[in-house]
Amino acid sequence: MALIELKDLNKTYNNGQPLHVLKGINLSIERGEFVSIMGASGSGKSTLLNILGILDNYDTGTYTLDGKLIKDLTERQSADYRNRMIGFIFQSFNLIGFKTAVENVELPLYYQGVPRRKRHELAMEYLEKLGLTPWAKHFPNEMSGGQKQRVAIARALITHPQIILADEPTGALDSKTSVEVMQLLKKLNQEEGITIIVVTHESGVANETNKIIHIKDGIIGQIEENSDHASWGASIIK
Amino acid sequence: MRELFVEIASSLRNNKLRTALTGFAVSWGIFLLIALLGAGNGLMHSFMGNMEDFVSRTISVEGWRTSKPYNGFKEGRFIQLDQEDLNYTQGSKWQGVIDNISTRTSSSSAVLSLNGKTVNGWLSGAMPEHQEQFKIKMAAGRFLNQEDLRERRKVMVISGSQAKELVPGDWTTLTGQWIKVGALAYQVVGIYHTDERDFRRSCYIPYSTYKGIYDRTDNIETISFSVNGPVTLEEHRAFEDEYTRGIKRLHDIAPDDNNGLWVRNGYTDNLEMTKASSILRIALWILGLLTLVSGIVGVSNIMLITVKERTHEFGVRKAIGAKPGDILKLIIAESIFITAIFGYVGLLLGMIACQVMDKTVGQQAVDIGFDKIQMLVNPTVGLDVAMEATLLLIVAGTLAGIIPAWKAARVKPIEALRAE
Repeated sequence: MALIELKDLNKTYNNGQPLHVLKGINLSIERGEFVSIMGASGSGKSTLLNILGILDNYDTGTYTLDGKLIKDLTERQSADYRNRMIGFIFQSFNLIGFKTAVENVELPLYYQGVPRRKRHELAMEYLEKLGLTPWAKHFPNEMSGGQKQRVAIARALITHPQIILADEPTGALDSKTSVEVMQLLKKLNQEEGITIIVVTHESGVANETNKIIHIKDGIIGQIEENSDHASWGASIIK
Repeated sequence: MRELFVEIASSLRNNKLRTALTGFAVSWGIFLLIALLGAGNGLMHSFMGNMEDFVSRTISVEGWRTSKPYNGFKEGRFIQLDQEDLNYTQGSKWQGVIDNISTRTSSSSAVLSLNGKTVNGWLSGAMPEHQEQFKIKMAAGRFLNQEDLRERRKVMVISGSQAKELVPGDWTTLTGQWIKVGALAYQVVGIYHTDERDFRRSCYIPYSTYKGIYDRTDNIETISFSVNGPVTLEEHRAFEDEYTRGIKRLHDIAPDDNNGLWVRNGYTDNLEMTKASSILRIALWILGLLTLVSGIVGVSNIMLITVKERTHEFGVRKAIGAKPGDILKLIIAESIFITAIFGYVGLLLGMIACQVMDKTVGQQAVDIGFDKIQMLVNPTVGLDVAMEATLLLIVAGTLAGIIPAWKAARVKPIEALRAE
């Protein structure tokens, strides 16, 4: 069975006027895949990502993650699933400003109840892996964008999640750093077999992934196999 | 736990002014509560200061002036107790109920002199039981005893303040010496305790001595006794009514005339006093609590703003696995922390204020003409109140945090992440 199974997923926002954002999404993503979801703004890609990340709920259809039906969960349950199964990487990093790099990385383990010494050790290990050891005691505002995103990646990895969800991970980075971050994600996928889903509107970023899912007006369009990384938009990377 | 403190500390550090203002409101509330309770205690101690000596089961009866005409007598008649009343009190009717009966003569002013020094006093004939009934504490020597009474000895018990005036320095050496009162001399057998603010000047000599020398009538000024039997306030009142009815009959006082006799019932007086003081106490608590409420509302307000400002952060926390309970805990802990720390400061300042009151107003006696009274006696609060206040602070902190925390915990992660 696929790691992620979406069957006829529908989502409507009711802010005054009903807005049908996802109109019957069918999608399955296997373990170890490196996929991107591409679409223009308003296409529903962020909503899809939020649903995949159990940050938002859906109206009809089913979402199965690692064999578990993700539907009508309590806040407690979804918090627990997010904590153990999903790693988030955000466009704006979303590090906590008054915590140092290592404290930010530790935080998911804190919510798992891991003892302080143990989680500090693990966090340092992950920071080292990402070449951030000298920055462990720095606060986010003392680091560059690339460094911040790598701290965020370390934070996403520390709980050994089933999937990494990256929402425009390069959106706030310059092109050189963007390439570095994408290379890092690629390496994590290849060497450690981590399933990664990247949401982006940049074809250059999408081209780094092995499969590109195009979404338009709430419907999945073309699913492009991209193992040779020669998608038509490859040259547009900024 | 450590994590919690780090987070609270950083949150407070980022908002110093706001934290200080909120903290002030809480400190002020607790400060006022403690100061009010301290002052209230001082007031109550002052009321009860003199009462303390009579806090016993002793009932004293004296004649007074009637206020109603009865049996052919006009009102305004002065009632004088005598042997008949004593016989009535000692009678078989009250066997087993009344005991420890003692009588006292009226007091007459006297000048005591020793080695050329003089001091004023009130000479009064009393019985040995008087000491126990009126809780007279001896500073030196002994009180009157049965031998003194039987042999009509010329012995005297004087007050500490008189002794100090007669013998500056080691005034306890006065016991055993002979003091002149008019043409007679009395040997001092004891000195009863008076503190600096106590102006009692009664000098006790044996009842029989007094009657033999100064008052050869069978008049009795005061009859005092203890009661056994009545337990509740109602029973005490019933007993008092029944007892005085007999005395009233002997003196043709209207049964419903409460002015003919002056009755002092230590037990019921004490109960009334306790009731009054508990009402005062409750009133002060309510006042203090109302002040504190404004502090709590302040904390709650600040926490609401904090929650709003940190919504995005809570969204991040939720995304990486914080449960609603974790967020709830964070906010409530911060709220309790603010209230507890600043409340404790207020508590300490309040305690200091009580000490200052004690050292200033507490030392002053106000002259009210015939006597001097102290407005505040020991205006401090006990450890129990401090503990109650601490507990109150924790409850208050929790209450102040509940609404903001609930709000923060309920925000959906997706909405929280969108907030800036």
